[in-house]
Amino acid sequence: MKKETIIAIILGLFFGGVVAIFISLKSKDIELSKNKVIAPPKENIVSPNLTSAEMQPLDLTEPANNAIFDKDIIRFKGTAVKDSLIIIQSPMKDVVVKNTKGKFDIEFPLALGENSIKMVIYPKEKQFRPQEKSIKIYYIDSEL
Amino acid sequence: MNRAIRKKQLIGYLVMGCLVSWLIGNTIMAQTPSSTASSSPTIEVDKDIQQLKDKVANKVSEIRKENNKAVSGFITNIEGSLIKLSNNGEINQVKIDDTLTKFFKVLGISKKEIKNSDLSKDDYAIVSGVVTDNIITANVVLIDENFLVDSGKITEINKDNYSIKVLTSDKNTYDLDIETSTKRYMINIKTLAKETIGFSKLKEGDTVHFVIKKTGNPPAGGKNNNYPAYKILVIPQEYFIK
Repeated sequence: MKKETIIAIILGLFFGGVVAIFISLKSKDIELSKNKVIAPPKENIVSPNLTSAEMQPLDLTEPANNAIFDKDIIRFKGTAVKDSLIIIQSPMKDVVVKNTKGKFDIEFPLALGENSIKMVIYPKEKQFRPQEKSIKIYYIDSEL
Repeated sequence: MNRAIRKKQLIGYLVMGCLVSWLIGNTIMAQTPSSTASSSPTIEVDKDIQQLKDKVANKVSEIRKENNKAVSGFITNIEGSLIKLSNNGEINQVKIDDTLTKFFKVLGISKKEIKNSDLSKDDYAIVSGVVTDNIITANVVLIDENFLVDSGKITEINKDNYSIKVLTSDKNTYDLDIETSTKRYMINIKTLAKETIGFSKLKEGDTVHFVIKKTGNPPAGGKNNNYPAYKILVIPQEYFIK
């Protein structure tokens, strides 16, 4: 075989390889760009810390259900989702507050006898369900 | 001469006797404070006894508080000193102690003392007392109204008879009559302040927190879960859209 023929074959193989690599890379890019359309836009991706499994649950540390008090003002203490809307309702009083810190400490008056109270937390992220807690507490005046 | 000497001796004895009696008197007087000093251990003992008494009283009060329980329900039966209370299927037995138990009727924010004989079937009673062998010995019996507090979404508005249908999160449907006496509030979505509203402001889809009065066991006014609303607090749906 002539020297020129060998050089031509080597060059042909080299250029063929370069073209093959170029085509394969290009086809990958095309495939990726096609996949991008299927993937949700960045702004719609829910942050992992907002999934319902990880959402901070309502934790009411005070008062306990069926607790007896000898004073007519108590405090609701606990933690709930930050920036949620807290509603505490009893026949005597309605309290509406924004839970800006995550930790809440709310003063609440009691009526003499039984107090049926419902507390509902409405998270800022509307896709989450409200969290509820119903309790009964008793105010029995120590003088009785 | 002898007489003069004797006289002097007598005067000397007299003076000495006076001095001795004065000294003895002083000694007795000086002993009085020492007797006060000797009483200080008694005071300390008294203090200890008092502290012990206080501790015992506190412990007794703590134990009483631990055993103290409050229950409520509609009176289903009165038999001598025993009362049966029923509340959503839960039955409680209450023992009345003639010398201990006090009875009151709650009138809004005040109360009126009543007698044992004033209690009647279907009254809603709140009892506080000490639990022994699943029976509550009542210290206090309060006769009051039974309230239900709940919330849900307005699913239907009836403008003809001023009523709304509410579906709660536990899938109960309430038919609430909005009467002139019903306290009606709506949350301002910007300020979160409560504002008094009229019936026309209510919309299907709004969230409503409500309070109703239940009477009788089962509630007499609760046919098809229809009650006059005592109070409503509405969160407009716009709050959840903003």
